[in-house]
Amino acid sequence: MTAPFTETGVLGPAGGLLVAPLIGFFFGWFLERGGLGYAPKLAAQFYLTDLTVFKVMFTALVTAMIGAFWLDRIGFLDLRLVYMPETFAAPQAAGGVLFGAGFLFGGLCPGTSCVAAATGRLDGLGVIAGMLAGVAAFNGAFPLVADFYASTPMGAVTITELAGVSRGAGVAIVTLAAIAGFALATRIERGRV
Amino acid sequence: MRGLHSALAVVAGLLSVAAAAWDGRAPGVAVPASVDYIAAPDLAERILRGDPAVRVWDVRSSEEFEQMHVPTARLMTLAALADEPLPAGVTAVVYANDDRRAFEAWALVRRRGHRDVRLLRQGLYEWIGRVLEPRLAADATPAERTEFERAASLSRFFGGVPRANVERREVPVGYWNGEGAQAGLAEATRNAVAGVRRRGC
Amino acid sequence: MKRYSDPYLAGLGLGLVLLAAYVLVGRGLGASGGFASVVAAGTAAVEGTTRASASPALAPYLVRGVASPLGDWLVLELAGVVVGGFCSAWLAGRLRRAVEHGPQVDARQRMFVSIGGGALMGFGAKLARGCTSGQALTGGALLSVGSWIFIATCFASGYLFAPLARRLWR
Repeated sequence: MTAPFTETGVLGPAGGLLVAPLIGFFFGWFLERGGLGYAPKLAAQFYLTDLTVFKVMFTALVTAMIGAFWLDRIGFLDLRLVYMPETFAAPQAAGGVLFGAGFLFGGLCPGTSCVAAATGRLDGLGVIAGMLAGVAAFNGAFPLVADFYASTPMGAVTITELAGVSRGAGVAIVTLAAIAGFALATRIERGRV
Repeated sequence: MRGLHSALAVVAGLLSVAAAAWDGRAPGVAVPASVDYIAAPDLAERILRGDPAVRVWDVRSSEEFEQMHVPTARLMTLAALADEPLPAGVTAVVYANDDRRAFEAWALVRRRGHRDVRLLRQGLYEWIGRVLEPRLAADATPAERTEFERAASLSRFFGGVPRANVERREVPVGYWNGEGAQAGLAEATRNAVAGVRRRGC
Repeated sequence: MKRYSDPYLAGLGLGLVLLAAYVLVGRGLGASGGFASVVAAGTAAVEGTTRASASPALAPYLVRGVASPLGDWLVLELAGVVVGGFCSAWLAGRLRRAVEHGPQVDARQRMFVSIGGGALMGFGAKLARGCTSGQALTGGALLSVGSWIFIATCFASGYLFAPLARRLWR
């Protein structure tokens, strides 16, 4: 297998760091192109009037998912060497709830807050400042939450492994569900006009 | 634009259905929902006792294994692991650079019906940091002192060098003393191994 | 000001960037980890590295340990995000110094709430080991269980609390 390049030696550690801002550039580029640097647009998803976030996010997810599967299948990319975060079911669920509420009120997520700030939106700076404070608060509270934080470890497990189906089956199910979701999203947006 | 959307959807749909049809890997039995880990110091004690029930398997590349591996470890590939005999009573321990390979090795053994398999969570990095070359910071807490004392006595058996009174930033950080994110483990392991080998010269 | 791109095309581009990250550096995108790095560095500057790295929450970001490379990579990536976002907006005529908010609130109120929202996200992202970029997008594409748990709870939470934030946005 030829990739990931930093694992097979094609790229050294310095190369890996050099790649970071390059990847970030295009990350920020496409986020802005899609309108995700504009808080009212992001918040509108929660009122079902503008489902751009859903469309962008899940198109990206499906694209990368299918691409990763096939690159691994043809022997180019070794998916086992791609970093996948470990699952900690309970704290991640709790974190998701908090994060979702923050996303709703802030109107921007960490990545898009940087895009918003870069395009002159001061509310982007507000979210960034809030995020820094929230992280600092977590650090301060760490002794209290440490046990919960480390609870329910499940290892670097995929949903297909947990369910006992093949990865390809999972790719198909997620893709088809996403396509159905896009069709539904289009209907919902039209219905509200 | 509608035409383009439809075209994209069709392509995605075909690629994903093809993925399901030609996955090339059998799904097998579902993976159990919680992982069993083993801490490096506990593993070290069992190795020192000469516990015949312990089998340590390194599922990294042969170059990495040649460079350095956990004492008594054997190099193993996932393919070989599928056929490796697993007698009852054996405690299997697997490790890698905590990429997916380590988890897959663990899951593979579990799926074969062998329950007593553990994951050395941060692999060689953890071994070096908690057993071979433990470090005690000058401003260590009593808890850290106790852990260090245990590690120091283990370390000497493996030819390691414990060091006390070091600067805080020389104390290796992993899941056992920090919140432990795992990305970058391969590089951290390489650095740790290089550090050990330098001392060897 | 030009119209935004088609969301599916933007998503396609984003997905290819994510795929490139998997291929090039064996990891995906992220954001909240970069913020955590910045906070760790700031805490160390204020408290001194020795005292700061005694905290288990901060230690991984301050020493040459396992998580430190993660933080640096993300900080560099976020720098790229800022430049990329700026360039895209500039070329499309979408640069504007403003505080974006709904019709029923003013800029000051919006700024306060944005900080509060950010704080919730900062805390939540630490608990969840990531945010919409790192967990939802990156981990989701890899079919990680925790990432999908995060996706489900994050969006469910947003929709659940939406009535409370109605005045902010509608």
